[in-house]
Amino acid sequence: MDAPDSSEPNGYQPPPHQPLIWGVLGTVALLVVAGVSVRLSENPDAARAANVLQALPADAEATLMDEPEMDDEYDPCSDCHEEEPTNYTVREMDDEHDEMEFAHGTTWCLDCHDDEDRDALHLAGGKKVDFDNTSELCGQCHGSKIPDWKAGIHGKRTGHWRGEKEYRPCISCHNPHLPAFEKRKPKPPPKPPARNGAEVAAHEPAPAEEGGSHE
Amino acid sequence: MSSSRRDFFKVLSAGTVAAASAPTTALGFDLETFFQKHFRRLDEEELTAVLRRKEAAYEKQFGKKFTVKATSAFEDVVFGYGLDITRCIGCRECVHACVAENNQSQDPEIQWIRVLEFERESAIRGIDLEKGNPYYNPEQVPQKDKFYLPIACMQCEDSLCTSVCPTGATWRSDDGIVVIDYDWCIGCRYCMAACPYGARHFNWKEPSIPEDRLNTDVHLLGNAPRKKGVVEKCHWCLHRTREGRYPACLEACPVGARKFGNLLDPESEIRQIMATKRTFVLKSELGTNPKFFYFLGGAER
Repeated sequence: MDAPDSSEPNGYQPPPHQPLIWGVLGTVALLVVAGVSVRLSENPDAARAANVLQALPADAEATLMDEPEMDDEYDPCSDCHEEEPTNYTVREMDDEHDEMEFAHGTTWCLDCHDDEDRDALHLAGGKKVDFDNTSELCGQCHGSKIPDWKAGIHGKRTGHWRGEKEYRPCISCHNPHLPAFEKRKPKPPPKPPARNGAEVAAHEPAPAEEGGSHE
Repeated sequence: MSSSRRDFFKVLSAGTVAAASAPTTALGFDLETFFQKHFRRLDEEELTAVLRRKEAAYEKQFGKKFTVKATSAFEDVVFGYGLDITRCIGCRECVHACVAENNQSQDPEIQWIRVLEFERESAIRGIDLEKGNPYYNPEQVPQKDKFYLPIACMQCEDSLCTSVCPTGATWRSDDGIVVIDYDWCIGCRYCMAACPYGARHFNWKEPSIPEDRLNTDVHLLGNAPRKKGVVEKCHWCLHRTREGRYPACLEACPVGARKFGNLLDPESEIRQIMATKRTFVLKSELGTNPKFFYFLGGAER
C-alpha cells in the first residue's frame, strides 16, 4: 500500500480549482506527519488494519453493508473509456452522461475517477480506490463526518442496537454526483381534532393546544 | 318470605359456580379478565395464562395468529434516544412506520409521534412548543426557512404521568421505558393531563386497524391492540428493543437522524452523542429528566 504522497500522479493535469486539491493534499500530508501511516511501510496488512478510514466501528458486531451496485449501462466504465483518450478539460457533461445531474461542490469527474485506470477511483494523492470501497475517498474532504460515522452518530444504522448492526457506506445514502438529499413530499399530516363532528380548520400556525394532543 | 329469600341465594350461588367454571358467562364478560391481577403481581404461571388468553382473544377478534410477549428488561440497560434536529427533514416516515408497527387506530386516528414544524428564525428565542405546527403539508420538505421537531414519549426518569395514575396502571420499568397495563387503565386520563409533552393518547372509540396493517408480534405492555377507553403512547418499541433490535421509527428514518442505545454503555451510539455533541431535552425546567435527547449533529442543508 502506497503512503499518500503529495507529488502529482502520473500524467494527471490538475483542473483549474487547485486550491481545493492542495487543501486536501495538505490534509493528507498532515495525517502522514501525524503518524497515521508510520507503520504502513513495515507490514501492508497491518497498515490496512490501521487505516482509520476503513476501520470498523469499535463495536465488533457491526457489519458494513455493500456499496450500491453501479448502473449496468455504465459498468464497467472501461467499456467506453478504454477507446476514448482522456479529455482533461473541465466541462459541462452535455454530450455523454448528459442524463446525469452533477452538483457536488466544485468537484469534477477526474477529482475522484482515475484518469488511467478507468475502472478505479483515486485519492487526491493518487492512491487507487476500488468502486466498492469509496468511503475513504469521501472522507478526504468530509473528514469530520468519519469519526461520527464510525461512532454511529452520522449515518443510518439498522438491525440491532445490541447484537448485529448494519451500517452503510457514504454512497448508499448520498449520490456521489448529487450528494444532497432530494426533497420529497411528506407523508400525510395528522387530522386536526374534530369538534361536534366537524373538523376544526387548521390555522397557520396550528391552534395551540396546551400540552399537545388530546385525541 | 324467608323461603323466597333462600331461593334467591340458591339461584345466586348456582350462578356464581356456573360463572366461575365457564370462561365467558351469561354476564357478557370474561371473569378471568375481570379478575386479572396487575401485571407486576402476576406470577410466572399466571402471566403465561394471561398471554395465552390474550392470544386467543386477539385471534378471535382479528382472525390472525398473534404472538403476545412479556419480554422483561435487560438487567444492565437503561435506554436513551437521540434525534439530530439538524438532519430531520420532516418527512413523517417515522410517524407512519410507528403507526403500523404499534397497531395504532386509523379511525379515530391516533399517532404517537407528532412532528412539529417551526420557523427557523424563531429558534433564536428558544423552542416554544405551542408555536409548532403539526399539520404542515407542503409539496416538498424540508422547506428552507423551517425546522422540524418530532415529539413522542420522552420516557422521563422523573415521570409525572406515572405518579398521578390512581390504579398504578402505568409505571417506569427498570430499563427506563414507561409502560401501561392496558387491562388496569381505567381511562381517567390523569396521566394525559400530567404529561407536559402531549405524548399520551386516548381511545375515545373502539380502535380500528386495517387488516393488512396489523402487527401480530406484540408485547402485552406495548403494541398489543388496545380497546376503547384506555390511554396509549410510545414505548420505544419494547417488543423489539428488549430483544436487542432498533425501534421501528429509527429504521424508517431516511436520513439517519434517529439514534438509540444503552445509556449505561459508554461505547453506545447515544453515549457517543452525549459525549461529543450539543444535546438538549424539552422542558428541562420541569425536572422530568427526559431520556430523549435532541442533538445538533451538524448537517449542512
